[in-house]
Parts: sequence; structure tokens; C-alpha cells
Amino acid sequence: MKRVLPAILALAAALGAEPPSAIAIRGARIVPVSGPVLERGTVVLRDGLIEAVGENLSPAPDVWIMEGKGLTVYPGLIDALSSWGLPAPASASSANRIPQAGAPPPAAPAKGPEDRPSNTSWLRAADLIQPSDRRLEEARGAGFTSAAVFPTSGIFAGQGAVINLAGDRAGEMVVATPAGLYLSLRSGMNAGFPGSLMGVIAYIRQSFLDAGHYRAAQAAYQRTAAMKRPAYDRAVEGLLDCPRVLLPAGRAAEIDRMLRLAAELNLKPVLYGGHEAHRAIGRLRASGAPVLLNLKWPERDREADPEQKDSLQVLEFRDKAPSSAAALARAGLPFAFYSGGVERPRDLRKAVKKAIDAGLAPADALKALTLGAAAIYGVSGRLGSLEPGKIANLVVTDGDLFEEKTKIRYVFVDGVKFEPAVETPGEAAR
Amino acid sequence: MRAAALLFACLAPLLAGSEDSFALRNITIHPVSAPEIAAGTLVVVDGRIAALGASAAVPRGLRVIDGKGLHVYPGIIDSLTQIGLSEISAVPATVDTTEVGDFNPQLRAEIAINPASEHIPVTRAAGITSVIAGPMGGIISGQAALVHLDGWTWEEMDIRRSAAMMLTIPVIQAGGGRGSPPGRPSFAEARRNYEKKLAELRDFFEAARRYRQARLAGQAGFKTDLKFEAMLPVLEGKVPVVARATRERAVREALKLAGEQKIRLILAGPREVEGVVKEIREHNIPVILGPTHVPPLNEDDPYDRSFTLPGELYKAGIKLAFASFSTSGARNLPEQAATAVAYGLPYQEGLKALTLNAAEIWGVASEYGSIAKGKWADLMVTDGDPLETRTQVKHLFIKGRAVDLDNKHRRLYQKYLARP
Repeated sequence: MKRVLPAILALAAALGAEPPSAIAIRGARIVPVSGPVLERGTVVLRDGLIEAVGENLSPAPDVWIMEGKGLTVYPGLIDALSSWGLPAPASASSANRIPQAGAPPPAAPAKGPEDRPSNTSWLRAADLIQPSDRRLEEARGAGFTSAAVFPTSGIFAGQGAVINLAGDRAGEMVVATPAGLYLSLRSGMNAGFPGSLMGVIAYIRQSFLDAGHYRAAQAAYQRTAAMKRPAYDRAVEGLLDCPRVLLPAGRAAEIDRMLRLAAELNLKPVLYGGHEAHRAIGRLRASGAPVLLNLKWPERDREADPEQKDSLQVLEFRDKAPSSAAALARAGLPFAFYSGGVERPRDLRKAVKKAIDAGLAPADALKALTLGAAAIYGVSGRLGSLEPGKIANLVVTDGDLFEEKTKIRYVFVDGVKFEPAVETPGEAAR
Repeated sequence: MRAAALLFACLAPLLAGSEDSFALRNITIHPVSAPEIAAGTLVVVDGRIAALGASAAVPRGLRVIDGKGLHVYPGIIDSLTQIGLSEISAVPATVDTTEVGDFNPQLRAEIAINPASEHIPVTRAAGITSVIAGPMGGIISGQAALVHLDGWTWEEMDIRRSAAMMLTIPVIQAGGGRGSPPGRPSFAEARRNYEKKLAELRDFFEAARRYRQARLAGQAGFKTDLKFEAMLPVLEGKVPVVARATRERAVREALKLAGEQKIRLILAGPREVEGVVKEIREHNIPVILGPTHVPPLNEDDPYDRSFTLPGELYKAGIKLAFASFSTSGARNLPEQAATAVAYGLPYQEGLKALTLNAAEIWGVASEYGSIAKGKWADLMVTDGDPLETRTQVKHLFIKGRAVDLDNKHRRLYQKYLARP
């Protein structure tokens, strides 16, 4: 019986019905990230989890064996701030229009923080996932198996989720939720308050102070019999839920500003942007705040006037941005990469290579793309390395991950194998 | 003695031309066109300079002003302003600089000048006796006038009613850069707009040329068009074109246009000249310098880029004149020149660029711009070097008539000085 099982499983796989529940990749180069590299090792996956990783494993007879000679196995890559699998921002606001118990969004321009403008903090990425998003396949093709996805429109945009980048149903894809609250400093979006950066910052401070008061008032109401009930406010509920707050901080001055804001409001900050992190290492070390580096490195606008000379300050900013990763790694500070403005997932490895060329050790780059990102979101026990018991998210290549000619052969998400679509030459040339 | 003085006072108005006839004695004369004369005499009769020298004869009965410790210079010419066209820039009702449309050569700034503008006495107090008042806006903005800063009407102020045709070279106004205002078009789109504007400009010149030929040929059914009429002196080289061009691309475009259309070009306000300075020199194009007291154009330019530019252009052999490009700022023109002198422009050239060069560029050097026999007596009398900030203008003469130096700034100064 046991002997025929692999055959049945193979048949099932061929029919696309049920994936094999146990797979072993044998004799491959294994890069677990959490431990030393195994030059000829085996990794066994079962029921969506990693069952074993080692050099001299003999997998159980029911395991479907893949010969891994010439292949390298890495943990699946994680995009540390993404919108893959989420609808475009416009539909995030249409989710807003669904009748909800709270006050409807004000039609008139907001006059002050009490109107809660640009606040959709109750939105949860986990509720918005669209498993049919075409970008999920593209992302897997680039070696990404997980992402921290966030709604991003508005100042208090909403709650993120760590998701796996494959699944039949949205709920199956979620690894952890809520993963944090996404904040931006965008002003002047609805012609009302806040119309300036100082207004936005004052608004953020007021909102978190309101959240603190809201919590205290709700708690007092639970304890007290005769007390006027405090009003329910979904915009503030979202602020109370979040385990961490993502704050925009690209320039050194912005990093400084956001760290001060987080300290004042007693938030657990995760900074995103980070292109001048190399100039703010001291502040970052003192705070211990993780940095998410945008892989869309600053570059000259292709649309720009060819006669316009860029200033030294701008040239230096562009030149040094990719060295931020190396600076953070040297200082031993937590950081990860995110897709940011990089439109095509397959360009992401090239962008990471830029950071490597600017001094980042390849091992540190790999860690930032896997275990480092998982640790920032508190899911390093589930994702980010090849260790028994972790989710079977893997990327299998035919060489070093950061070599340009290296091809991604397979990715595994929750133990399910995917083969990247072959790029047509026309597409590659684009 | 007192009776004699009284008699003279009564007779004075009866003497022919007494208001614009006088002699300055014992004064240092700085003719600009010639070496200075210490303790000299300058004789003005009927508004014109009759004689000057160490011992020029003073006709009998002429009013004599003792110039001990004083200096006399030709009056300063500000080679581009909006004086009389704009009173308070923030109050649209007082601004008459700009007409709707891209091509308005028929507009004459002179007739729009407000002779009662408060800026006129303020500007005069700095030793400025005449200015170019130019319209702005669109591509061809209209005709700039050279006017005296004195007169009850614009007719009395007039020197050259059509001193130049004002042209603003279009620029590519693209967005996209950091800090650029929102809503600006992409570079590609902005460049298409720009090229369209340039094509329209060439078409306009071409149409004006055809109009002229039809007019000369006495074509049947010929219809007078004021726009094209105004272009005739430009096409015939009688009136120069002042092209406002800051960046190198605009300067190149102005030079190209002048070559194609065979027009007399004057460049106004170029600030990015490295790549074009040779060509400006080769074609003998005069340059109207913009204000020097401005930050450098590009972030990485040396801090003194705006200060050294006049000296560099001079060394390249280019004829220069200073302009304030302003209304309320015109009074600072001598200081703008002084900074250029401190940063490499030879002193005499600084003075010339305020006086004689300007007169030459505007085609009035036979009448104005220096202290020479036969020229109009536009004079400033100072207690020192006009390029020194502390120097005071003691007298100002326009066509030999003393001009009141009182002005709003002085009145405000007196008012607040008297505050208990």
C-alpha cells in the first residue's frame, strides 16, 4: 500500500487534483539562513510544513522525491511591505462605502482631527486579499512566497497582514494579522484638514492621544454602573489594535522626526523608505527600530529635462541610497527589503544586487529577504528559514540567488510547488 | 545786499531758460566718456551741456551752484523696469504690465505709464534719470519705452517711445522633479508645448514679413493690421528686439531666431552663459544684466555666481548695461552694479554699464549717457562715489532742470524719526 502511494500522488499531481502531501528535495545545496549551508542536503516537506532538513536523511517511503543535484534551496523570499494580492487603492475606498456601523465618511472637507480625515485604520488587509491577483504569480516567479501587505491610502491607511502568496481562498493565505498599522504623511487629499505636513503630524499625535483616552474611557465604563457611555469610534479602534506602526522615513531628517514621534507616543515603530538610513545609524541604533528599505532606489526621472543638471545633493542621495543596507547590516540593526515602487517583481533581485554591490554581504541580503523580514513582523517562528516545523515556503534555484543568470526553478508555498512561467524573449527585453 | 538778492529772485524767472541753465563750479566732473576733471566747471544752457573743463567760461547772469566737495556724473539709466506700469504688484488694479495673448507687438508701454507713480521719485533719489519701461507676458509683449523720470504726462517723459520690442523666449515648464508644483505637465508634454510656441513665433515673423511685402507692393485690397505694422521697424532693423532669456536653452533659441530673422537682438537677463558666451560675442549682441543681488540659479553654482557674471561677460568682450527688472527695486541699481565691480567688473565699466553703454544700446548715445558738450544735461550730483552705498545724491537734473529729491521713503524716514 505504502509503495503505491507515491504513484497515486504523482498521478494526482499530474491531474492537478491534490498536491503530494510529502516532498523531499534530495542532494541539493541547502541554505537554511538560520544555520550553516549544507552542500549536499535534503529537505523534506509534509503537509505544508518543513519536516526535516539535513545531510543524511532518508525520507520515509511515502515521500515524493525530487532530485536536487545542481539546485540550491533557500527559504522563500518575503516582501516586507507590499500590495500584492490587495485590490488597487481605489477599491480600498469602495470597501469604505460598504455600509458600516460607524459614522459614514464625512462628505464635507474635514475641519479638524475630530472628523478623522484620511483614517481607515479599521481596514484589514487580511479581509481584502484577492487570491486571483495576477501579481501573485509574478511575485512567486521572482522567488517571493510571502509578503507583509498593507492598505496604503490615507494617513491611517489600515492594518497589514503577513500572507503567503498562493492559496485558493483568501483566508488560507493569511499567516498573521494584524501585522501593523500603515501610516503616511500625505496631506491635502480631501481639500480639508490636514492640508500641511505640520497639520498631519499634529493630527497623528491627536489621534493616538484620543486612542489612549478612548481605551481608558471604555475601561472605566466597564467598571462603572452609572456612567455616560463613551461613543464607539472605529477610527480609534484601529489604532488600539496594532502591534506596530509603519512610519514613512526616507530622508535622515524624516527618520529623526518619526523616531521622535514614535518615542513621544510610545509606539513600536517600523520605518519604511530608509534611503538615507546610512546617515541616521546613530539614531536608529539608539531606538532599535527596524527599517524597511524601499528597493525602488532613487534614480533620475527618465522623463526629466535632459538639460537639467542635478545638484550634488541629489546625485549623492541617489548614489548612496543603496549603501543604506550595508550600513544597517554593519551596525547589526534589523532591516528588510520591500518592493515599493518596483513594478515588476522580477526586477527586485536586481535591485537587491545593487545593495550588495554597495557593500552588503550576500548572506545579509538573503537574511533581510527572509528571516530578517519575518522577525520584524514577529513571525520568525513560522517563516524565514529552513527549519523543521516552519511553513514550507521555499525557493529553488539553479545557482546563487543574486547571480543575474540564475533561474528560479521552483517555489513552494505552503508545501505546494509552483514553476515560474517561462519568460518570453519579448517580455524579457521589455 | 538783501535788496540785490531780492531783485535777482524777481528777475530769475524772466531770464530766458533760467530753469534749465546753470553752472556747477568747483566740482569733480566724471564724464564717463572722458577722464575725470577735478575742481572743474560744468555749464548747462537750455538743458544741454554747453561747456565743461577745468576753467570753462560761465556766461554772465547764469545761476551758479557751488560744487565744493561734490561730484557730478551722467544720470543713471535703468535698462529694464516696469516703472509706471505697476504700482503695487499684489494689487492687480495697479498693475498694467501684461496683455492677454502671446503676440502683442502693437502695445506701447509708454502710453500706459503713470507719471504720478510713487516709485518715480524713489527711483530718482538713487540718481536714476531715465528708465526703460517694458511690457511683459506672452511671447511678444509689446514695445518698451525709454522715458525720463520726470514729467506731468507720458509725453513729457518720452525719450524713445519705441526703444525696443519685448520678446520672452518660451521655456519648457515641466513638472516631475522634487519640489516642483503639482499639476505641471510631463517633460515630453511640456516640450511639445514649447516647440509649438517656438513654431508660432517663427510663423508670426513670417506673416509679418509677408505683410510688409504686400504693403510695399501696394497690393490691392491690402488691409492694415496694427500687429504687423508694429513689426515693420523690427524687420527693418530700426527697432531692436529685447529677448528675455535666462537659461542656456533660451539664449541659444534667441540667438538662432535673431540669425534667422535678421533682427537686432539685445539679450536680457541671461544667467546660464558658459556654452553661449562665444556666440554672443561673435554676433556683437549686447546684454542687459539682471539683478546681481540674487541667489545663484543652480544649487551647486558658486555662491558668488550672480556677482561674477557681469565681470565674466565683460572679459568676454560683451557690451553690458545694468537693469533692475523691477519697479520697487530700481532704486538699488547702483548697488547691483557695485557688487559686480567688487566681483571682477572693472570700476569704469561698472559706471559705463549704468550710463553710456545703456545709451548706446538704446540708440540715444548722441544725446545721453555721458557728460559731453551738446548732450542733454541728465546729471546726478553726489557727495561721493555712486557705487558706494553711503553716497547721497544731492542734486538731480533732467534736461537741465533740477528735480525734487523728496520721495515716499524719505517722508516715512522723517515721520518715524520724529516718533517720540
